[in-house]
Amino acid sequence: MTGSLASAGPLGAPVVAQVTAIEASLFAFVVLTALFTALARDVLAAVIIFGAYSLGMAALYTFYRAPDVAMTEAAISAGVTTVLLLLTLAKTTRLDHEAAFESVNLPAAGAAGLLFAGLMLTMGDIPAVGSADAPIWSNPDVTQWYIAETYAETHVENTVMAVLAAFRGFDTFGEAVVVFAAGIAALIVLHREVFA
Amino acid sequence: MSGTDAGVDDADTETAGSEFASGGGFGRDRPPRSDGRLDSERRQGTPYTESQVIMPTVKIVTPFAFTYGLFVTFHGGGSPGGGFQGGAIVAAVVFMIAFAFGIEATRQWLANTVVVALAVGGTLVFAGIGLVPVALGGAFLQYELLPIPDPVKYGMEGVEILGIGTIVAGVLIGLFFVLAKGFSEAGGFADADAFDDEVGDDPGTEEGDEPDGDDAADGSPEGDSVDPTDGGTTGPNAPGPAATDGGER
Repeated sequence: MTGSLASAGPLGAPVVAQVTAIEASLFAFVVLTALFTALARDVLAAVIIFGAYSLGMAALYTFYRAPDVAMTEAAISAGVTTVLLLLTLAKTTRLDHEAAFESVNLPAAGAAGLLFAGLMLTMGDIPAVGSADAPIWSNPDVTQWYIAETYAETHVENTVMAVLAAFRGFDTFGEAVVVFAAGIAALIVLHREVFA
Repeated sequence: MSGTDAGVDDADTETAGSEFASGGGFGRDRPPRSDGRLDSERRQGTPYTESQVIMPTVKIVTPFAFTYGLFVTFHGGGSPGGGFQGGAIVAAVVFMIAFAFGIEATRQWLANTVVVALAVGGTLVFAGIGLVPVALGGAFLQYELLPIPDPVKYGMEGVEILGIGTIVAGVLIGLFFVLAKGFSEAGGFADADAFDDEVGDDPGTEEGDEPDGDDAADGSPEGDSVDPTDGGTTGPNAPGPAATDGGER
């Protein structure tokens, strides 16, 4: 059972490093929506474009075979965050703007461009997408161990869930309590004693 | 809503609508409704338009989305997903319902007790499942010691479904409602006092009324304390609901 889990998954096959049309268009969509989110002068427009950006990211994560992350991105980022931001806009005033886009602050754009260029310099050392030799995948002590041992140890097929709920269960307990505390903090900040 | 209420609701809708328009909220050039149903400003508090497109769409989509959320939660062990994703999808279903039928209507349908029970119950279940092995002489969350068949698998499922899923769903729904209601001192609603009077029958929302008058009277930030005598003291000191309204906006 463990052997088949380690080798049978589609992740095991090395992905040919060539950009497909879907990947390229998803990338273009994500980059464009990110740019328009930053440049849009109207906050409502920025929030809506940001929702579209999150949806594009969710599709991109699905494309890269990370459905857990894609689900979280779609539900939390595209759904919940957009709704909460819209709700906040509805509670505040929304200014009318003549121009559709922010005027670009040249020093800030230069600093961001330099940071971007610096990050791009590191791209040569990053393994190709889906490479079987990538340390994060081929690491025998962590990734491969979890993939090989998860079913034998926990009797569930989803390695991600096994890591979260069993192998790193105490961390997850802390995270769950943080989510609970966030709800309490919102009540305190807004001077409320009941949610609904 | 009875026929006698309709006239009052209508007037409220119109005044609140003009306030929102001047405040620059969302476009709200809908005609005032005569039956005082869902899109009454007095009942909703936030901008809301009853849409014949959104409501049927949400009615059709909701059962599927809710089932998908439950599937993702309950099937986390065998497929991508888990409590966090499933809980978020379930919460998003509630948001959809609130967008279609109005936040206040949804708030009254989904009582505060349910939201709090989800968030608090989830945390207690997670801690409880973790503490049972401790009571049996093991470590925190040592699933092997749980007195159930296949303890590791079903212990994890219990944590994911009854712990994480319920916490995430409850807290997200609660954040949504509490953000929709806004900061207590600032009123938040165009006619917060009228709104609070209307839903004041519900003991859970009664506290929302008192701080409004209290804060307007003395401006103290700790005006939120639940004091049974508050209602008596605010009466003579605080200005009427109308004056409170004007000052807060």
